[in-house]
Amino acid sequence: MSLKRMILTLCGFYCVMGIMPLFFGGTDYIMNILIMILIWAVVASCWDVIMGFAGIFSFGQVAFYVIGAYASAILSVSMDIPPVFSIIMAGVITGLVGVLVGLPCLRLAGPYVALVTFAVHMTLVPFLRGPLGRAIGSGGSQGILTIPPIKLFGLAFSSDQLVPFFYLTFFLTIICTLVLVLMIKSYWGTAFLALKDSENFAASLGISAFKYKLMVFALTSFITGLFGALYAHYVGMLSTKMLSMDVFTILMIMMVIGGIGKYPGVVVGAVITVTLSQLLAPLGMYRPLIMGAIVVVLVLFLRDGIISPIIRLLSPLQRVVVEEE
Amino acid sequence: MFLEIIEVFTSGLINGSVYALMAVGLTLVYGVTKAFNFAYGSFYNLGGYFAWVLLIPLGVIGGYFSVFFMAIPFFFIVGYLLEKVLISPLRKYDDWEMKVMMLTLGLSLFMDFGYQAIFGPRIKSLPGIIEGTVQVGEVVLFQQDIVIFILSLSGMLCFWWILNNTRTGMAVQAVAQNPAGAQIVGIPKDFIFAATFAISTMMVGFGGILLCQKNFVDPMGSTDIMIKAWVITAFGGMGSIRGSLYAAFILGMLEAFVGWYFGMIHVQIATLTLLLVTLAIRPRGLMGRE
Repeated sequence: MSLKRMILTLCGFYCVMGIMPLFFGGTDYIMNILIMILIWAVVASCWDVIMGFAGIFSFGQVAFYVIGAYASAILSVSMDIPPVFSIIMAGVITGLVGVLVGLPCLRLAGPYVALVTFAVHMTLVPFLRGPLGRAIGSGGSQGILTIPPIKLFGLAFSSDQLVPFFYLTFFLTIICTLVLVLMIKSYWGTAFLALKDSENFAASLGISAFKYKLMVFALTSFITGLFGALYAHYVGMLSTKMLSMDVFTILMIMMVIGGIGKYPGVVVGAVITVTLSQLLAPLGMYRPLIMGAIVVVLVLFLRDGIISPIIRLLSPLQRVVVEEE
Repeated sequence: MFLEIIEVFTSGLINGSVYALMAVGLTLVYGVTKAFNFAYGSFYNLGGYFAWVLLIPLGVIGGYFSVFFMAIPFFFIVGYLLEKVLISPLRKYDDWEMKVMMLTLGLSLFMDFGYQAIFGPRIKSLPGIIEGTVQVGEVVLFQQDIVIFILSLSGMLCFWWILNNTRTGMAVQAVAQNPAGAQIVGIPKDFIFAATFAISTMMVGFGGILLCQKNFVDPMGSTDIMIKAWVITAFGGMGSIRGSLYAAFILGMLEAFVGWYFGMIHVQIATLTLLLVTLAIRPRGLMGRE
């Protein structure tokens, strides 16, 4: 997709998102969904950049998200660091963990990467619940219950007042989305496309697969950790339930709906999936059952995600905008 | 102290033998069809529930004998149909490997919560295949453990024989080596893919029936088993049957000794560390082909 089109689609989406609180600002239920859409849209975009563009089968996205959330929560609860700094530190920590996982992992062939990253995800649960996790302040199986809200210029952003928090998230989302778009369209993004098409040929042109993969791993895990931390300060409590397969599948449905490697697609996927999962929430334990079935059906029948049909529908409109410029 | 070590050793040996059965099934399916099955643990649980339904509510005559007898066609048909309906349609896409992973992950979630919806969230215990103990010197062994060990070993030998001595088995090997070449000499590739998947489902189902007697049937325990089977496969080298045999016993022992010495909570961390170190030194596992 061309840069202009990508930016137009994203601009359209975020403009609509940005004016949403004017209509629904009073309804906490809808505001909560909107905030979660913003957070998940960025996390899913990071995954799409890793899987779709860099071609790394990373299954550790939820793990990075949780690492970021826990890192910020532990820093702000146990060490009294103000949340604004702890969120940034959590991003840096997650980025470092990403590099640590990536160093051995990215030399491996495709399915091994999936396995190792997924194993990291699975190991986080016993780690956070066990004595090691409790020693660093993860709260064991109970989790962390009193995470302070973000305070900035004397304003408190918390789940009590959703509209300010929405705009804080919105601001961060736009910055991170811009970074991702710039990355996809820069030399990096082109290098990834070349690596995906033919690794040997790309290597012969002097593109180091390992270097670029490690860099994208670090960048996406940094952003994911940042948003995990934001989420932690938003809900105010954390437990290892976030690592359940349920959450993982929701993230995966976003990718399948949006289409792997069709970048702005996952953003649309996030909107649909978060809304759907909130609507299905009263079903209790039948929700993951239905979610699992949805994944199977969507993977079978939805080949490229739904972004391509949407773009086709919107293209007359976009053409008008482009011509006016 | 010495006696305890012997006990831990036997438990590692028994776990290792069942893991070997399951990991060989998994490595076979990856080696032949290149499909990465994330729902493997859920089939393990399916084995446990299959035995539970037959033994407790239905009270089938013949006990475990009839369970095994019925498990062979049941798991073969389940595996065959799953491959035909869910996995083979994906093969025509470019990124089908990624799609298979996603599909099987969704399937595993569906199956796990399906068990919960049908059988309830509580764990179920299976009766032992045989009661009583054997005393060798000062060491006390459960007859159940011995039977599990013998059954999983004979299952594996049986599989080994089929793979090396029957036409189907050799066809499976041919497809693993070169799918296009196998097709040229007239081997029905699609049938072999489905049959391999079915055999691996059968093996993990058997593993479930055998190991759930010791470890209970836990509807949420499938990811744990899946990770174990995958770690063994990756550790041994994907697609290498002999490698996963060794790896299964090594990891079975590691698990038993780490669990005994440091506590069960450290088992997964130790397993992952071993895997990461091995892959850092040998990126294709112990005996993986380059």
